[in-house]
Amino acid sequence: MSQQVNPFIQADGTKPSCMQMLQIILDEQASADQKEYFKFHMAKCLPCFKSYNIDATIKELLKSKCCAGEAPHDLIEVIKQKINQQLSL
Amino acid sequence: MEDTQRISYTEKEKNEVFTNEFLPLIHSMYNFGYRLTLDRDDAKDLVQDTYMKAYRFIESFQTGTNAKAWLFRILKNSFINDYRKKSKEPSKVDYQEVETYYNSEDVDRQITPDLRVESLKDMMGDEISNALNSLEVDFRTVIILCDLEGFKYEEMAKILDIPIGTVRSRLHRARQLLKEKLSVYAKQMGYNN
Repeated sequence: MSQQVNPFIQADGTKPSCMQMLQIILDEQASADQKEYFKFHMAKCLPCFKSYNIDATIKELLKSKCCAGEAPHDLIEVIKQKINQQLSL
Repeated sequence: MEDTQRISYTEKEKNEVFTNEFLPLIHSMYNFGYRLTLDRDDAKDLVQDTYMKAYRFIESFQTGTNAKAWLFRILKNSFINDYRKKSKEPSKVDYQEVETYYNSEDVDRQITPDLRVESLKDMMGDEISNALNSLEVDFRTVIILCDLEGFKYEEMAKILDIPIGTVRSRLHRARQLLKEKLSVYAKQMGYNN
């Protein structure tokens, strides 16, 4: 692959560390160019590859296990009733 | 309410905004309330209270802007003002120290807990949920906003009334703490990491 310009380099020329790049990716703040660059970067940087896989797995686990399910079915009705009560005062 | 620009809605428009933009977010709001209070009844009260406030202050909401971020901000403020006061005060001092530490230049030298993907994939029970719930509420909150709700830095900064740099550092620290907790669970499950 031809040497890409690192899209993580900031306007003032600062080059972010691996950890900073990883955080931008994990926090889902990366542009398409940054994502692409990081994919190639991971292929040659074992610590980034390992960290990314662990953090990405944790994110998946969070998404699948940490939703409290649906709100109680009567909650919307209770809210509507309370608002109507307030309006009729 | 931070937004000073107020909009005059008719009663009909008010109800439309409330029904079409606010109410469909009830499940995300309830999950956020539950993850903050860690109690289903308290979460219900908090969400109710948030929607009441949202209705009362609906004129400071501009249609077409991010209703979810607007509602999450009200819920977070209600939690801090009404609920958190009743429960034990957070350990502000420890917390500040942690943030100062992160903001120093030593950040790359932090030790990452040694976790393995296989051990995480074996966590089929409540480990991840318990690990998240055990984090101090400010750390828990950024994980919820980013990883469960997909908010951007700028939106999180507005919801939490903190600078973007603090959002970033808090998220970094929260991820570290979460990994430390999960690493303890992995050891208990027999993984020697």
